Formats: sequence, C-alpha cells, structure tokens
Amino acid sequence: MYTLRRWWDRHGVGLGLLVLSLSGAWAIRQTQGAAIFELYRFLTRPLTHASAPAEQPENALTRELEQRLVELESQNQQLQALLGYTSKISGEKIAAPVIGRSADHWWQQVILGRGSRDGIQVGAIAAGNGGIVGRVTQVTESSSRVLLISDPTSQVGVTISRSRYMGYIRGQAANRVIMEFFDKVPDVRPGDVVATSSYSRLFPPGLPVGVVESVNLNKSPAPEAVIELSSPISHLEWVIIYGNPKSTADPTNLNPDDDPRQPRNPNLDPNAQDSEPTSTGSRF
Amino acid sequence: MIDLYDLHPNARRVLDCVVTASSVLLCLLILPTRLPGMELLSVGPNWLLIWVVAWSVKRTMLQGALAGLILGIIQDGMTSPSPTHALSLAIVGVLTARIRKQRYIKEDFISIALIVFGMAVLAETIIAVQFSLQDLSAGLENGQRTLAEIWLYHQQIALSSAILSSLWAPVVYYPLNRWWEQVQDSEQA
Repeated sequence: MYTLRRWWDRHGVGLGLLVLSLSGAWAIRQTQGAAIFELYRFLTRPLTHASAPAEQPENALTRELEQRLVELESQNQQLQALLGYTSKISGEKIAAPVIGRSADHWWQQVILGRGSRDGIQVGAIAAGNGGIVGRVTQVTESSSRVLLISDPTSQVGVTISRSRYMGYIRGQAANRVIMEFFDKVPDVRPGDVVATSSYSRLFPPGLPVGVVESVNLNKSPAPEAVIELSSPISHLEWVIIYGNPKSTADPTNLNPDDDPRQPRNPNLDPNAQDSEPTSTGSRF
Repeated sequence: MIDLYDLHPNARRVLDCVVTASSVLLCLLILPTRLPGMELLSVGPNWLLIWVVAWSVKRTMLQGALAGLILGIIQDGMTSPSPTHALSLAIVGVLTARIRKQRYIKEDFISIALIVFGMAVLAETIIAVQFSLQDLSAGLENGQRTLAEIWLYHQQIALSSAILSSLWAPVVYYPLNRWWEQVQDSEQA
C-alpha cells in the first residue's frame, strides 16, 4: 500500500496530465478539429477582406457573351421545365473567403471562413472563378473545410461538353487533373470543355470543370486526357458555395465521388427514364 | 518577466503546462496557413514534427512516443484519420529520443536541423507506406491513389517538407528548449 502511495505521489500528476492530453487529443479528432478551426477563424478574421471582390466584365465582348449565356440558360431552363426535368442547382449562393489550406501535404483541402451559421452544409458545392473546385466535407459554426477536386481521393464523374463522352477525373495535387474515359475511342480533342456529368453522385450535372489540355488515346486500360482546371485552384482567395441537391449530408464520407466501375444508377440518368432514348437526348 | 525561482512548485508546474500547451496550439494554428517564405511547391513546414523533435531530444523514448501519439491524433482530426499521422509522429518521437541518448550528436541548431530533416523524410515515408498498404489491401476496386502516384508524390513532398521543416526548426526549438531548461534549473534549485 505504501509503495503504491509513493508511486502515485511521484507519477500521479504526470499520469493525470497524460490522460488529460490524450482525451483532449481524442476529442479534437472526433470533432474533426472544430475548436481549432473556430479559433483559427477568429484569429484570421481581421486579415480577411470585408466583402467579396466584385468581378467586373472586362470588355464589351465579355458582356455580350454573358448576356447571351443568360438568355440561353433561361431558354434551357424553360425547355427543361417543359420536359419535367428537375432543376440542377437551387438555393442561394454564399461567397466565402479562403482562410487556410490543408493541415497536411497529402490532402488537398481549403479552410473557408463561413460555416453553419451562414447556412453552409456538408456536401455543398464550392466553385471558384470559372468552375467547381470541390465539396464541403466538414462544417463548424463559422468555418468549413472543402475537399478540392485536385485531391487524389476526389473523383468526379465528368463529360465532354461537345461530344457527351463520359469519364471521371482523378486529382493530381496540382492545377491539372486526369480524366479517364469509359469508352475506348472517345471523340475528344484539346480545347474541349469538360463539365460534371449526370452520373456524378455528389455533384449536380452541367457544372464547368476545365478544358482538355492533351489527350492520350493509347493509355491502357482506358484512354486518358489531361484537364486543366478553369479555376486557379492553387491560389484561391474566394469561393462561391452552392446548395447541393445531391448532398448526402454524411460527414464520414470523405472519399467522394463516383466509382465508375460500379453499375450505373439509372435513376440518376435522365435519359434512362425516357421512353424514346435518342442520340440527341442528352444534348441540351 | 516572472522569476521562476520565486514561484511555488505547483504554480511553476502549472505555468510549464500552460506554456507547453500553448506552443502546441500555436503550431496547430500555423498549420493551415501558407505564409510567404514558408512555402515550397505549395508544401509548408511540418510544424508538429518540429515540435515533437524539440520535445523528444531531452526526454525518454516513452515521452517522445506519447507526444507523437497525441499530436498525431490531433492532426488526424484536422485532415483525415486514415492513414493516421499518430504512427509516424510517435516513431519520430522514439527515434529522436534514442539518437540523443547515444550522444552521437552535439546539441546545436545544425544538429537539430539535421535531425528534423531526416525525421521529416521518415515521417512522409511512413505515411506513404500506409497509403501503399491501403492501396494493396483494397485492391483495384476503389479508385484510390495508385502506387506509382503515391511514391512520385512522396518524392516531391518529402524533399520540400524536409528542407522547409529543417530551416524553420530553430524557430520552434530555441524558445521551447530555453523555457524547459529554465524550468528544470529552477526545479533543481
């Protein structure tokens, strides 16, 4: 009893501290570092700009193209409404400042300075200037974490906008991603625009991703293309957050997206339910 | 400036804990930043690894392992829990404590920088090995990173992380080491 008492006197405090710090570390792990990111957000608040920089159209041509785009989009929406096709993106946009990058080199993440208080939910889509950049994987009161599409674990089902050939992209930890095609001989050439496809389980279809930079049709087992992402993913300052109708709201699901080798879900394919599948059916 | 020698032993101990914990917190808060000069190929210094090395150089292997474990668990929470950082940081803690025990290297900034350099490469290698094991056990089914991608990426980040970490190591090591030395001196007095 005496020896036990003496041992406790010598090591009790150290043991208590050890248990305290271990349980603290475990709590941080289970809450995915929420407290740290809250504190980080609080400390970086004075450093971020007050409002999102307003993007001014560069010249008359850009303005004209934007107006035509608005016109075509609204026509497109009307036609889709006539067909009974559900809308892609709904809800408001939230501009969020990027206040930090990933806490490790192996993951491509960014920390945003807006959280659940501003209406951001897990699964929401983050878009930069020109295209999607990732998906919200974790939300605290006033910060959120986005898994970028340049992360190697981030896989997104995409399609070539011109020829509608499908594939999926894999991140390469830089401003380039690799697109693998489902077909052996896809119709694709450098300069083609790439957008999310309707097979994507985590992203709504039709969002711009990037532009084809080079194509390698001889690659085995599937042809590959190098896609240059449209948004400057390595130096993002602001992103726009959209609500996601396909959001799974599952915080443990850190490994998106499609596994293209799995059977395709016909419910996600609008053409699969059509009685007359025509070749132009998917060309909206 | 508080004179450590005048404090009650318990107050001194509490102060020591507060300083140590806040240095960890500072390292954690600096992790998501990419300040100018702290970035090479968009890779920053591994601040937690520097802290673990600074902690372990004058402590036992068990203490080093526990510090690595705790900081690794926290970093898991801040990024992604699989593969774990706890393993690599714990091994770094053990090895650092062991190197110092054998007194091969004299204590100065250069040797600390060298230790951090080696340990950073080791830590990234352990993470890469864990990724590879995951990849092998999962098979081809899930479209994760391939082995070639893992090791190519490992080369890039291991080198830049090791260079940056070793250059920034004295920033963490010098004040912490000085503080712990003072606490130890005042306890013996």
